[in-house]
Amino acid sequence: MPEVTARGVRFHVQTMDAWEGSPGGAPRRAGAGPAPVVVFVHGLVTDNLSSFYYSLARPVSAAGAHAVMYDLRGHGRSECTATGHGAADAARDLFAILGELGHHGPVHLVGNSYGGVVALNAALARPDRVAGLILIEAYGPAEHAGEWTEGMLNSLGRTALALEYERQADQLLAMGWRQRGRQAATADALINGTSLMEDLAALDPVRPADLATLSCPVLAVYGEHSDVVDAGTLLLRSVPGCTLHIMAGHAHTLLREGTEELLEVMLPWLSHHAGTTVPAATRSPHAARPAAPAASAEPAPSAPFAPPVPPASPAGVR
Amino acid sequence: MTSADDGVLAEVVRMLVEVVGEDFLLDVQVGPDTTFNGDLALESIEFVALAEKLRARYGDRGDFAGLVAGMDLDQIMNMTVGDLTQHVEAAHA
Repeated sequence: MPEVTARGVRFHVQTMDAWEGSPGGAPRRAGAGPAPVVVFVHGLVTDNLSSFYYSLARPVSAAGAHAVMYDLRGHGRSECTATGHGAADAARDLFAILGELGHHGPVHLVGNSYGGVVALNAALARPDRVAGLILIEAYGPAEHAGEWTEGMLNSLGRTALALEYERQADQLLAMGWRQRGRQAATADALINGTSLMEDLAALDPVRPADLATLSCPVLAVYGEHSDVVDAGTLLLRSVPGCTLHIMAGHAHTLLREGTEELLEVMLPWLSHHAGTTVPAATRSPHAARPAAPAASAEPAPSAPFAPPVPPASPAGVR
Repeated sequence: MTSADDGVLAEVVRMLVEVVGEDFLLDVQVGPDTTFNGDLALESIEFVALAEKLRARYGDRGDFAGLVAGMDLDQIMNMTVGDLTQHVEAAHA
């Protein structure tokens, strides 16, 4: 199902059935309940669902979850609208798309970078619809307005500049020019042709008091050298059921550059909270036990991430 | 190349036209040695769209589960059109 029209906007959507890509393609999960639904939300401007399509989606579906990916409005192959690029609209888009796909129950959300802002806002707006959050290098959590968007907007500006520079450089390579040229065209259309930058500048951060109301379990993964890592620390301190994993040697691009380690953390967490399996290839002596009861909020003692800590306590922060 | 290969290749070319547009492909002669990244300059999101079309056309034969398992994005994008058509043909055999 490559296209879905939701809220009057045409969205590019890709799905992978549970156990797609698993050896034999046969269900291996104990019990006969419906497969959990895991929805992937990508980052800004030059990002799109392909970031997940080639990295996390297939291993997650092979573990027994139904994977849903979509391009945010104005991104990838989804329709570009003049307005409606804020996090609240994006969260409404997300649930409208899921409704069109027939998913009306709770889902697990995986957000990367700005996708984490969307996922967080979705979980706060509709706690009945979000069973768990995996936040990868997520922007959003901050103590004060203004400070949190600065890095994101600066990063966006740097991206636009880099695209402009590389577009000129790649004119020497006609074939390479096409990719950069298209990415630059997408960035130009979004940054100069829509309300995106205004919408982002107007966004409020997700403050500790709001984070404390999150009732679903949260796995936060940040790079050791990321300029967003403080958001991870704030999540760990503020969210009752948060687990923080810091990836050594990585920065903001860990989804692409640290996919394997990310999966080693994600798949046991999903197994614990969504009832998926842990493929043998990623199971390690440090991994959480597969198929642990979903009702339990505590990860297995041997889980490879820091345990949840009480709010406002820095203990356990890595 | 067998006639069956020609059929799959022709289908892949038709799908590429749908994904990236006819104007661009007018400048490129697509054959088994054509690479998606170097020759066609396909964007990763366009490769996703191509994969979807293959799945719609060939069902499980067009699916990339077996083909791209274990590959990273760079390896996938550096595949040739021939790698892809052979995968579809082998699954058909």
